[in-house]
Amino acid sequence: MVVLTTNDGEKFEVEKQVAERSVLIKNMIEDIGGESEPIPLPNVSSSVLKKVLEWCDHHKADPLPAPTDASDSAEETRRRNIDISEWDGKFIQVDQEMLFEIILAANYLDIKPLLDLGCKTVANMIKGKSPEEIRKLFNIQNDFTPEEEAQIKRENEWAEE
Amino acid sequence: MSPDVNNRNHHALKFDFIMQNEGPDDYKQLKESITQRRNSAAAQKSEIQELNYRNSPLLKLPTEVLLQIFNHLDRRDLYSLLTVCREFADLIIEILWFRPNMQNDASFNKIKAIMKLPKLSTHWDYRSFIKRLNLSFMTKLVDDDLLSLFVGCPKLERLTLVNCTKLTHYPITEVLKNCEKLQSIDLTGVTHIHDDIIYALADNCPRLQGLYAPGCGNVSERAILKLLTSCPMLKRVKFNGSENITDETISAMYENCKSLVEIDLHNCPKVTDKYLKLIFLNLSQLREFRISNAAGITDKLLERLPNHFFLEKLRIIDITGCNAITDKLVEKLVICAPRLRNVVLSKCMQITDASLRALSQLGRSLHYIHLGHCALITDFGVASLVRSCHRIQYIDLACCSQLTDWTLVELANLPKLRRIGLVKCSLISDSGILELVRRRGEQDCLERVHLSYCTNLTIGPIYLLLKNCPKLTHLSLTGINAFLRREITQYCRDPPPDFNEHQKNSFCVFSGHGVNQLRAHLNQVMEDRAYLIDHGDMHALFHERRRRFMNGGADMDDEEMTLWARQRGLGLLQSVDNDGQGMSDINREIFRELNEGNMGPEEMREHFQRLIRNHHQHRLVERQFTGAEGQGDEVHLENQDPQNAPQIVQPAVFPNGNQAIPIVNVDEDDDIEMQLVSLFPRGPQNS
Repeated sequence: MVVLTTNDGEKFEVEKQVAERSVLIKNMIEDIGGESEPIPLPNVSSSVLKKVLEWCDHHKADPLPAPTDASDSAEETRRRNIDISEWDGKFIQVDQEMLFEIILAANYLDIKPLLDLGCKTVANMIKGKSPEEIRKLFNIQNDFTPEEEAQIKRENEWAEE
Repeated sequence: MSPDVNNRNHHALKFDFIMQNEGPDDYKQLKESITQRRNSAAAQKSEIQELNYRNSPLLKLPTEVLLQIFNHLDRRDLYSLLTVCREFADLIIEILWFRPNMQNDASFNKIKAIMKLPKLSTHWDYRSFIKRLNLSFMTKLVDDDLLSLFVGCPKLERLTLVNCTKLTHYPITEVLKNCEKLQSIDLTGVTHIHDDIIYALADNCPRLQGLYAPGCGNVSERAILKLLTSCPMLKRVKFNGSENITDETISAMYENCKSLVEIDLHNCPKVTDKYLKLIFLNLSQLREFRISNAAGITDKLLERLPNHFFLEKLRIIDITGCNAITDKLVEKLVICAPRLRNVVLSKCMQITDASLRALSQLGRSLHYIHLGHCALITDFGVASLVRSCHRIQYIDLACCSQLTDWTLVELANLPKLRRIGLVKCSLISDSGILELVRRRGEQDCLERVHLSYCTNLTIGPIYLLLKNCPKLTHLSLTGINAFLRREITQYCRDPPPDFNEHQKNSFCVFSGHGVNQLRAHLNQVMEDRAYLIDHGDMHALFHERRRRFMNGGADMDDEEMTLWARQRGLGLLQSVDNDGQGMSDINREIFRELNEGNMGPEEMREHFQRLIRNHHQHRLVERQFTGAEGQGDEVHLENQDPQNAPQIVQPAVFPNGNQAIPIVNVDEDDDIEMQLVSLFPRGPQNS
């Protein structure tokens, strides 16, 4: 078992196999050389870690992603991740705040498949929407002047083809 | 889209792909440059930007995560994101223009219009983002004016101008100015390759890794030497059809470009093995080497190499038409380069079976072998090669005129075979094709079959070939009399315009849809004969007797014959004999007609249907009286044991054990016709 400490002081005791879904934690365990010490995670809150561990537990038996993944070309990444599994789909049905927290935590903890799940979910939210709809969805204010916006649209219209 | 355009695009993509595999990863590079830009911009944010950053969790994501999200979006969605806010715009504009989409009319023309605007009037300087420029999708629209619009793209890394035939050297030279990051340029199909271009590459592009300039016949060797000394990172070079290229070029390659992986010198006749020897001795990372029609390439090419796996990276070697080489070179080559995948030795006239035996040591590595015009090779050589190299997908044996049907029997054992070239192997006969088809079975993976000038072939075996090879997209039967008639050639593609009248008349090549049409046509003709098939056994019997006779055995006595017939589910021989006579007459007629082709397809079908109907009515009446009926009689092709591969040690092509299908070569009168009848698989039983 491994003990993880969150930034709000909570302790989580989890199976080593589950915790090691995170490459960061896996490396830390290897560095410490044992599992006795609690591992501090100063960038993660308890509510997010709980959610992340839920995912790790479900996927604990998955084969680890190949180490070459980091240098995969864009096409390859896209090809590899076409579908979201049913369980993952349900798991990621959370509010936007939690979604981004999970993404940040997955990025920090270095859990590639979870990060990818988050990114795909955000991409799916963007797909097919107009700029205005995207702004509304993600609480972004338009910082272009109408002239600028029109010019940019005009000059890049080819990308719509 | 014409097949031509397809090929062109394919080539362009392939080149891109090759370079991509070797160069630094696109995505990674883009990520680095965008991240850098975003970080440096972070310091000077406007008020709204600050506000956005605070309010939107999406904008708080680190750049690499944002890029991973964008990676799941297509260009249209990126276009929507582009005008959401400045922060996104700055990220996305670089992704969009990294490789401007010049693949269709609409976007091509829109990009052209933007490029025509004065540089300072656009929102960004788009030229500063372009790293990949591929104009080979819309070659008709590419002229000097168009290419001139892309002068001044300082970050350009890849320039692909495949088949942009309208271009002259001037704008190409201009585009190359200040492209210090250029990694590759593909000038395949560009006709005005001039010293200027080569000097511009030498002067501006020190990081050049790939140069495909096959049409460089007018370029001086001086220019090429300058290039080779200025671009030491060169990995892939293609100079074709040049008399200017001599050993000096090779020497400069060897001296300066130590990381070469591909050298293509097709039709550079002045090159000898003098310095190539050193290249093979020292550049062990070489993957692809091609040269052709160079008399100075001899067995000495590899003589200095040690006798062990030295050229382990070498995958492709092509020494077409280098007539001085002998088996000695091939033997050495196989020892030094055990992982060769493609070997092209066409028109190396001195090659014998000894080379094929050597090549057999490549085993599963070998996928592609071209031995056209190696007229000394025989079935023995092919057998030893094919039995060791199971993964061959492409084999060309054109004009190897000693090859016989045995070669086809051997080729039947290659499970991955996609292309067979046997043009002008005139000893090949129907028996060989039948055996090939029978052994390879249904749903065969063959895609391209070249049998032009195999003059003995007739329609029956080709029909079966078509039937069993659903993936066939190319079938060439030029110069074979049996196919040169309206009924067949109506599905053949047009002969090349530069053919003379005689050539046009003997042209008979089916490709793409034409193959399907031919198959459908023959199917229909044959289906009409479905009734007849049960009588095919008559001929099988006939031939079994004949075969035995020819092979010196005794003829069957009556008892044996009855047994033989019963094993094959034939009923009372007598009754079969009786009405089989009438049917074989019809069969003969059908085949005569197929081979002569006086009638059009419709006419012929009707004629035969009438004949067959009459026959069956007649037979029905007969049956009512005798009650005799042959049941379930089958001599299917499928009945043959496919594992029954011959253990050939001598060219006993069709050993005696391999019976029942009467493929014994009894070359007399009308036998071929008769044999074929018995070979067509049974159609739906007609009762």
